[in-house]
Amino acid sequence: MTANVRGTMRKRGRWKFLSWLLPHSILVVFSAVILLPLLWLLRVALTDKSTAYKIPPEWGQASLDNFIEIFTGYPFFSYFLNSVTVALGATVIALPLAVGMAYAFARYNTGGLSLRLFVLSSQMLPPVILVLPLFTLFLKASLINTLPGLILAHMTLSLPFLAWLLVAFFDGEVATLEQAARTDGATRFQALVRITLPVAAPGILAAGLLAFLLSWNEFLYALILSGPHTNTLPVGLSSFQTHRGVDIALLSAATICAILPAMVLLPFLRRYLIRGLSLGALK
Amino acid sequence: MSVATADGLTLAGRDRRFGLLLTAPGLLSLLIVITFPLFFTLFTSVHDYTLLTPNYDTFVGLENYEEALDEEYLPGSLWVTTKFVLASIVIEFIIGFAVALSLHATRRFGSIYYLILLAPLLINPVVVGLLWRMLLHSELGIINYAIGLVGISPVSWLGDADIAFWTVVLTDIWHQVSFMAILLVAGLAALPREPYEAARMDGASTISCFIHITLPLMRPVIAVAILLRMIFAIKTFDIVFIMTKGGPGTATDLISYYIYRAAFFGLDIGRASAMAAGLLVIIVALTAYLYRYMNSLK
Repeated sequence: MTANVRGTMRKRGRWKFLSWLLPHSILVVFSAVILLPLLWLLRVALTDKSTAYKIPPEWGQASLDNFIEIFTGYPFFSYFLNSVTVALGATVIALPLAVGMAYAFARYNTGGLSLRLFVLSSQMLPPVILVLPLFTLFLKASLINTLPGLILAHMTLSLPFLAWLLVAFFDGEVATLEQAARTDGATRFQALVRITLPVAAPGILAAGLLAFLLSWNEFLYALILSGPHTNTLPVGLSSFQTHRGVDIALLSAATICAILPAMVLLPFLRRYLIRGLSLGALK
Repeated sequence: MSVATADGLTLAGRDRRFGLLLTAPGLLSLLIVITFPLFFTLFTSVHDYTLLTPNYDTFVGLENYEEALDEEYLPGSLWVTTKFVLASIVIEFIIGFAVALSLHATRRFGSIYYLILLAPLLINPVVVGLLWRMLLHSELGIINYAIGLVGISPVSWLGDADIAFWTVVLTDIWHQVSFMAILLVAGLAALPREPYEAARMDGASTISCFIHITLPLMRPVIAVAILLRMIFAIKTFDIVFIMTKGGPGTATDLISYYIYRAAFFGLDIGRASAMAAGLLVIIVALTAYLYRYMNSLK
């Protein structure tokens, strides 16, 4: 082997090492920036209240006291329940409506491009635009500070989101299966209920979970349209900071509870997340 | 050729009827919960409707619009919003692309990195605001303590107007950069291999492959990702409400927060509705552009 060839090989080896090192370094740094704040939040939540404030930080005995206290000493259970009710209500009502729309878009192109644009624009609306008329209308209709009112408001998010997202789940293979069933004499309705819905069920379920999280995380509607007895978790959290100064240990415990459902669902949703976030533009 | 059936409809006619039947309930609901309130916004915007006189007795024509345009702080808020949207998108794009390329080049631990990457996207924005408020607290925050260890004096992250703007931008980036990254990763995964193999045969370097192959092929994905992020960034409200309430002064007074204040602190729903109508035009225009672009790709 000549010195020249050996030199090239060493260069190639170095290059290979670098092209391994660089991506991993970027990803490790990036992951640390995301994870460290969340781990710190968990640490504060598990620390007793006075130690949590100490700078430089001290490591006390880990305990679940803060988690117990937010549910016993504060109305967090009620916030939790309201959030679940509203998110579940909005999703369960919107899902069948959206399935019908999305299926009609995908199979029969009902309403054409203009109806689809209408659905997409509805989804893009800044909440602050809709919250003004909803507030005045709800005042008139006595829907302010009620859970049904809030469910209605959250449907303005979940219905267009689901209708747009689900279209993609009715295209492709399902369409072929359905065509076969139709040729065998199934009616349009039978083909939809017996073939398409079961095949598309996992996608529909995942979309439903995303819609649930969408309204679980919603803040502005709940801030304006809910009252003391109907406050959802984000509103409860935002007002928690002003009650009696900021008790960071309790607040951290409460925020952990608020993000827990999303973190538990994350591994199940990862396959569908891109489609959901890019509004079906990417798979 | 169309075939008439028992009920006198052609097959295509029956298809259309079935489609309409399925669409009707959802469409009706959308009209009730979205279109009707939107028209109500326009209706409110031409009336003198305030929370002190909550009625539609006084028609004022375009007066609310004129007043809104004359407002001293509206141009400032629009400027802050523009700066916020541009700054966050540019930085997110750069970081997002770096992360996407790294993830694309990595096999080991790829799925772990990916799961971590996804995490912030599902976190409640209120929680993100509270979390960073806590970390960035001037005296009790861990960040100021940490930079103190390496000899940097404490920073007033949210108290200084110039710094607070960037603090909010960076917080939003922490929350949303993954969005850009996973869209770009999906785009990279869908790229064809042949152009790269051909280029490698011709002895092209990695960098020139990136500039001459990757970037042009990724254009559609990049455009969609940036447009989506732009629309979402314009809507930003939660972290401003939690972290700064638009302040200090008007340093972080994004347009959504500005309209919210006009309505519920200024108590002038009529004027806020006029501004909301303006924002509506901008968002619908951007969405229509995005939609046309997405359709042109198919």
